[in-house]
This record gives sequence, C-alpha cells and structure tokens, in this order.
Amino acid sequence: MSSSPVAGPAATGPSSGPATGPSGQPAPDRHRGPGRPGRRIRPVSAGGRRGPRRGIARYFPQYLAVSPYYLIFSVFMLFPMLYTVYLAFQKWDGIGEMQFVGLQQFRFLWDDPVFWLSLRNTVVIWVLSTVPMLFMALVLAVLVNSVRRFTAFYRVALFIPSITSLVAIAIFFGAIFSNNFGLINAILQSMHLSAVPWLSNEWTIKLVIAALMTWQWTGYNAIIYLAGLQAIPSELYEAAKMDGAGPVRIFFSITIPMLRPIILFTVVVSTVTGLQSFTEPQVLFGSDASTNPNSGGPGQAGLTTLLYFYHQAFDNNDFGYAAAIVWAFFLLILLIVTINWRLVQRKERRP
Amino acid sequence: MNSQNRKRLRGLSVHVVLMICVVISVFPFYWIIVMATNTSQDIYSYPPKLWFGGNLLTNIQHLFDKMDFFGSLFNTVIVAVCTTLLVLFFDSLAAFAFAKYEFPGKKFLFGLLLAMYILPTQLAIIPQYEIMVQLGWLGTLKALIVPAAANAFGIFWMRQYTSTGVPDELLDAARIEGAGFFRQYWHVVLPCVRPALAFLGIYTFIAAWNDYILPLVMLVNPDELTLQVALAQLYAGHSTDYSMVMSGVLLAVIPLVLVFTFFARGFIADATKGALR
Amino acid sequence: MDLSRRRFLQAAVLTAAAAGATAACGGGTGESGSKDSKNLKFWYWAGGLSDKVVADAEKQFSDVSLKTSVIGGDFKTKLLTGMKTAQTAPDITGIKGEDIASFLPNAGRFLDLNSLGMDKLAPEYLSWKLKQATTQDGKLIGFPIDIGPCAMYYREDLFAKAGLPTDPAKVSSELSTWDAYFEAGVELHKAVPKTFLVNNIGAVFSMAVGQGTSRYIDADNKFIGDQDHIRTAWTTAVKPYTLGIDAKINDNTWNAAIGNGTLGTEIGAAWHALDISNAAPGTKGKWRVASLPSGPSNLGGSFLCLPSTCANPEKAFEIIKWILSPENQARGFTDAALFPTAPAAYELPALTGGDAFFGGQKTIEIFGPAAEKIPAAYEAPADAAVSAAYFNELTNVEAKGKDPETAWKDAVSQAKQIAQRQGVK
Repeated sequence: MSSSPVAGPAATGPSSGPATGPSGQPAPDRHRGPGRPGRRIRPVSAGGRRGPRRGIARYFPQYLAVSPYYLIFSVFMLFPMLYTVYLAFQKWDGIGEMQFVGLQQFRFLWDDPVFWLSLRNTVVIWVLSTVPMLFMALVLAVLVNSVRRFTAFYRVALFIPSITSLVAIAIFFGAIFSNNFGLINAILQSMHLSAVPWLSNEWTIKLVIAALMTWQWTGYNAIIYLAGLQAIPSELYEAAKMDGAGPVRIFFSITIPMLRPIILFTVVVSTVTGLQSFTEPQVLFGSDASTNPNSGGPGQAGLTTLLYFYHQAFDNNDFGYAAAIVWAFFLLILLIVTINWRLVQRKERRP
Repeated sequence: MNSQNRKRLRGLSVHVVLMICVVISVFPFYWIIVMATNTSQDIYSYPPKLWFGGNLLTNIQHLFDKMDFFGSLFNTVIVAVCTTLLVLFFDSLAAFAFAKYEFPGKKFLFGLLLAMYILPTQLAIIPQYEIMVQLGWLGTLKALIVPAAANAFGIFWMRQYTSTGVPDELLDAARIEGAGFFRQYWHVVLPCVRPALAFLGIYTFIAAWNDYILPLVMLVNPDELTLQVALAQLYAGHSTDYSMVMSGVLLAVIPLVLVFTFFARGFIADATKGALR
Repeated sequence: MDLSRRRFLQAAVLTAAAAGATAACGGGTGESGSKDSKNLKFWYWAGGLSDKVVADAEKQFSDVSLKTSVIGGDFKTKLLTGMKTAQTAPDITGIKGEDIASFLPNAGRFLDLNSLGMDKLAPEYLSWKLKQATTQDGKLIGFPIDIGPCAMYYREDLFAKAGLPTDPAKVSSELSTWDAYFEAGVELHKAVPKTFLVNNIGAVFSMAVGQGTSRYIDADNKFIGDQDHIRTAWTTAVKPYTLGIDAKINDNTWNAAIGNGTLGTEIGAAWHALDISNAAPGTKGKWRVASLPSGPSNLGGSFLCLPSTCANPEKAFEIIKWILSPENQARGFTDAALFPTAPAAYELPALTGGDAFFGGQKTIEIFGPAAEKIPAAYEAPADAAVSAAYFNELTNVEAKGKDPETAWKDAVSQAKQIAQRQGVK
C-alpha cells in the first residue's frame, strides 16, 4: 500500500503546484515556502486571552474543526474496511452466526472461474473505454484550443455528459442498443446492414459499456487537457515553429511532454473509476432473469468484479466470500495504478 | 488559393469536427425527449420516429401510476441538499485548520486524507450496511447523508483555496481583535472562500443526486427510494414500457442539466483547476 | 453563486441539528411503530398478488391500518435488508417460490403458521406446496399464494401459417414430447422465418429440471447436479439451440419480441400469462395454451410469510387467510394470473370461464390437470444459487457460441464450487 495511495492525491490534490506534479510526491505545504512571512506557526489567540494553555488543549479548535471528517471516516470507512478483512475469513449469511473458515474463501476465489472472468471483463471494459477516451479527449482539446470562437459553448456542451446520471445514461444506452428495436440497429438496417445483437454478444456487450463510459468522460478529460494546453507558454510553440517543426512534431515533442502530469492525472482517475464499473452492467442487465439476477447479462459478459461482489453479497448473502472478492479487487486496483504510475513516470525521464 | 483562405477553411473544418462532437455529446438528451414524447409502439417500430411526439403527458401519467415520482424526487432533493450543506460546512472548516494552522499530528492527518483517496467505497459497504442496521438507519435517508457529510476531496479543494484565497493579513487583524478560531472562520474565511464553496457545492450536489450503489443497498421501501434507484427499478424486469421509463429519465435528468448549464462556466473552470493543481 | 455566509451557516447548523433530531426521533418512532399492533406493514412485488384483493383487504380489516408496499428490484435482497431490524421489517411479506428454500435454514426469523391455525386449514391447500415451506422439524413459514403449473403458450395464428395444429387439445397431444415440440419449431421457423420457438434455452432447462423429482441437491444435502437427470435436462435444453429455433433473448427485448411475432411459443408457468398480456396487449386473442411437452412442471409459486417481528400475529394471519381464501385466490387468477393453491378454487367460475386473451380458451383445462400431476421435488436452500451456474453456462452457449459439452463441464464444476461455498456436501 505504500506507493499508490500517493497516486490519487498527488495528481488530484489541489495541494501540489504544477511543479510538484511530475515528481509524484505529495508536497502539502511546500508551495508557499517555509519562510513566508504571513504564515503562523500557531494562532495568536491561542496564547493570548485565556492565559497559556498547555499541550494538546490549545489546539482544541483545530482538532474540533478537522474532527467531523475523521469521525465519519473512521466510523463509515476505516472500521468497515478492517471489518471487511475480518469478514473475508468468515462464512456468514448475514442473518445467522459467523463461522471462522480461515483462508477457505480465498481458496474458493482462486478456484472460481467466474471471479477470474469478472476480472477479465473489468479489465477489458476498462481498456476499451480508457484508451479511446483519453486519446479522443486529447484530440478534442487540441481542436478546441486551436479555435477562437464558441469555445465557451464547446466546453459546456462537452462537459455535460460527465454530470449526467449514470443510471439515466445506462437506460438510454440500453434503449438505443436494444437488439431488435434500438436506434443503432434501425440505422444499420436503413444502411442495409444486418442488425447486431448488441446486448447478447460477449464482445458487443463490453463495447456498449465501454462506449457508455467513453461518451460520459471524453468531454470531461478534454476540458482538463484544454486547461493544460492553455497553460503551455506560447513562446515554446513559436520557438519550435522558428526551428521549422511541423504541427505533428510540435504536438509530440512539446504538447505531450508538457501535458504529462495532467495525462498522468487523467490516467489514474480513469483507472480508478473505470475499474469500478458497476452501475452500467447492473442497470443494463440487473434483473433480466428472475432466477438469476445480476449475472451480468448473456454469457456474463458484463459481469464486472464489483457486480460479482454485489451479487455474492446481496443476492446470495455469501458475505464472507464477497468480502474476499472485494479485497482481492482492491489489490488489483492498487497494482494497476502502480503500474500506470511507473510507466508514465519512466517515460518522463526520457527526454 | 491564398494562405488567408486556406487558414479560414481549416478553421471552419475544425469547427465542423467540434460540432459533430457536440452533437454526439448532447444527442442522448434529444433522443430521450424523442422517446419520452412518443409511444412505446413508435419506439419499437421501424423506421423509428425521429422527432418529438405528443405523447409526453400520457407517458408521464403512466409513470406516475408506476412510481411515486415526487416522493422519490423529494427524497433525492433532501439527500442532495443535506449532504451538500454538511459537506460545505465540515470541509471548509477542516480546510481552514489545515491551511492556516499548525498543530501536532497535522502532517499525519493530512497524509491520511491523501491515502484515502483511491479507496473504493465498495470495500466498506457490507460493514457499512451492518452499521446502519445497528444504528437503526437502514431504510432512511440518514444512511446516505451521514457517511457523505464530509469528504477528502472537498477538504483538499477548500484547503488549497483557503491557503491562497484568504489573506493572512486579514486573519492577523482578526486575531489582534481577539477573534478565536471559529470567529475567524465565520468572519474572515467564509466570505473569502465563497467561490470555492460554490464549486464544491455544485460538485457535491451532483454527486449526491447521481449516487446509485449506496441507495441501492441501503433503501428498501418504494417511499424511501431516490430517483436513481427508482428509475433503475422501473427499467428492470421484462415488461418495459420504454416511453414511460424515458419520461421518468427525462424528468430526473433535465433539472440537473438546467441547473448545471446555468452555473457551467465557473464550474468548469474550477473543475479543471481542481484537476490541475 | 452568491451565498450569504450567515444563511449558509444557519442552514448547515440547522441541517446538522435536524439530522440529529430525526435520528433521535426516527429511532423512537420506529421502535414504537414496530410494536404498534394497529399498523401492519405489508410487502409484496408487482404482480405478486391481485392489487384489487389487497385493496379490499385494507377495507375489510379497517380496525388496523395496513400499509402495503409494492417493492421493486430484487425482492429477496430487499426483504433480507428489511428484515435486518424490527423497525424496517414488514409484518406480512411475500416470498417468491424460488427463494423460499433459502429462507428455511433461518425459519426462526418467521412465525410458525401452524401455531396460528394453519394446521386446521392445511387440508384445503395443496400439500406438496405446503411442504416447500415446511422445515424438517415441521414448522410452516409460508402460506402458499399460488403455484406455477407450466404450460406451453403458443401463437395460434403463426401455428396456422406453418400448417401446425392449432387446437389446444390437438397441440397438446401432438406436441407431447420435447422432440415433437422442437420439430414443430423447425417447421414454424421455416414457414415464418422471423419466428423462433423458444425465448432462450435457459427456459427449456428450468422446465425440464422441474419435470423431475430431484434437483441439484438431495435431501441429505449432497450435490447431485452432475447426475443423469440434470444431464438429460441439459441435453434437452441445448437442442433448440442446435436446431436454430432459439431466439436467444436474454435481455429486456423480450418485451418487444413477444409482441411482434419473434416468439412463436413461450413456455412458462401459469403466472407467466400476465407477463405476456402486459408486454403484448396487441396480440390479444392470438395466443393459446397447451400442455407442456413431456409432462407437467412447476416454476415458482409464492408464499405469504409473517416475520417473527410481526406486531400482531393473530390479525396478520387473519389477513393472509382472507387474502388467500379460495374465493380471493380465484380473483387473483383473474387479475394477476396467480394459479390457486386451494383446489376448491378450481371449481369457481373465474377459473372455469374462458380467457379473452387466449381467444376465450378455458385455460383451466390445461393448468388444472397439470397442477395435479406436478412432481414434488426437494428444493435445498442453496438450490437457486447453485442453479445459477447452469443458466450462466447456457447463456454462454447462446451468447458466445460456446461448445455445449464444454459448457456442461464448466457448469457442473462451477455448481459444485458454489454448492461447496454454500455448505453443501
């Protein structure tokens, strides 16, 4: 757990200035410099009116101020997470007594082909969505950056999908990709192509889910890249033009390197959110069969790991097994984020 | 062709490409309206209807028969408003302490905040569910509001804004007048960080409005559901009346999109700032 | 967005206070609510009971206030969630037939209906159905709402086009085996190319399993899902797929498919008639019902249960007794296609009359004999969870074109593993 937790915040955290981004180190308070005159080591008031208070007590207001988050966090996140670890070693149906089973749940997990299938589904959907999403976002950002007019309009229009409810969008995608009567198949039909059973085929199911995620997040990422592009000093471009570099060359030797920290941020965020896909398949295939709910659609092709977790916990009431699934899944996210991190960082060292 | 013309042509083609992207971006909203205003039979037929129909009111009537729309809307508004207000208050307060004060354990606490960033909430959801059972909050909106009442992102965001946006001179002046921590927060910090609060507020509101997994797990009765869960249930099952469901989707999505477009400019600028820093 | 900070803070403090207050009050009222014998919470799912009968029950028992909720989503999941605490638990609840077995190990969470007077009523209801809700030590936790005698629904007009028999009696006798049924499907598909015989092969499989007297796990809690009876059902299920008469519908396009003639037949329980008439009101009069090929089967058929936290057991039992009286069960058949569990109802006009959706056919002639001949099979608590493996693999065959033989092997090994996880030997 040591390296990756850094990933999210360093990229996201408003804390590090642009200069600290690439290094990947969260540098909470550096950007003002330690010697800044305005900074107070301790509040005047603390020592002032009520006479010297000793020790921790004089920091009481600060602790009080930060306590709500840590209280909520401890009760609803930290304790539950640890409890989930404990649960992973139990067999428990949620009603009866818990029974300690040692590592049995993890042995089951290792042997469970459905678990591995769900991991494969999750990763495939993630790759199918993230790669085109970030690529198109970059292109879009460059395009918007190259025009003068309507930029405000483009930004709003491109951003809207990211604030739209996932449930609504999943229902919409379910409707237009409907096998027999969806808009997409109607269009294919009008072009005299044969209809595609989008929501029945192993690969097209993943494509539909990936398309959904791509639709929702491409604009958002484009807007973020756009802000990054605007921060690149124009002198750099002018200098490159003077040297006779073409637009493609400029893009790869100036734009991309300058955007690297932002690309890193979007990669990490897309990884963390992309791997956690749950709502899309749950809404699309949720209760398509009364005997077998939340199985992830035909061929279990839309069964993501989190959906499998939900199914085991809340449909089968196998809470111990579900706990093992979600922990294994968390380790996978850590692994992938770490790999991402290393990859992007390594590239950085090359000129 | 002179270079002036060529440039103009290139600019035009860029606009054309961008317009296509905009159309893709907003097409679902158009199509949701088309489906919501026609009958299910129109939707199933080939060729499909491409323009708005006149069946919206009938669809909405069917919708209201099938679900307690206003009840769900009310629940959703309660959750979103309460969560937003609590987040704004708790996060800005904590952010003030982190941004302007030193206290023992600050580094550790802040580091913890950073570390919690990528934890998937699902990791905690089973015990959370049991905790709600113990508290007797299961099936109530509290089960959604309280766990979301403060978050790491908001503290980051507000801390960043507070450390730059609140002049130390003002705080010093307040201290000299004898203002304590909370008085400073109230009189100096809050007025200064309003723009950041606006962004965090909209962000939290949207997130709470759209949340799905927590209400899915915590809520049971139809009269407790939030819109997202109620809509998903409406869609589930075999007997799907698409145009009816779409009228529900329309009603649930439109307010948020309108609110968003109203605040969009500032919001987007802030959202990118949050990402860039 | 200009937010007055005073307003803002006030609002925040108020919210926090209100949240705290409702937390306190909520707990209080909730507790008193659960002990309030005048308020009974009643849960079922859409189509689980006749809404009219339920509405009448509210009037009939005006001395208590009956708060009915039609719960959406996965009912079992919601019920388990609700039953976590006394305040959220319903006082009366439905439980679906496929889920009842999984509740038996926790029978202590429900009241024994026999002790409330069901033991005297028992002879009036189908004994095999009562047995499904009875624990090994004789506790009865569910009052049977309906049974799911299965039949074959078919489109008379499409059968006529394909030159197949159209009269229900004739269809029943000529398509009396799975093979004859599939052959008819091939002809049907040839004559009307866009029409398929079955919705998906999972449906065939569940029918075929239901035709046997044992399922995936035996009464000694031993896994038997790899034995011949399941294997035969599997082989039967795969046939329409290999014959190309499987519509492979595994999503909610079923709704549209049933209305536009994509599906020529539909095999399912009596209650499935409601799904068909809801999804395809335009096909009214075109459907008929014939016997299920190769003998009767049961699918689903639900129960009403009283959680042990029930505030007023005597009253609650009185209410469910009334709702499920033979007369009201007959109404349930008319309104919601719920096939009665009280044989006395079979004589009532609601059942003996013709059904306009089925062109005036007297469907009791099909369902009645089927109901009597349903083979009783032991259903283990883990039955539903284990069966998922087979259904998943059958959709794998449909969606990925997976080799049925490989799919069978994978289904068995997965089912074994699930069984093991669920504590089956």
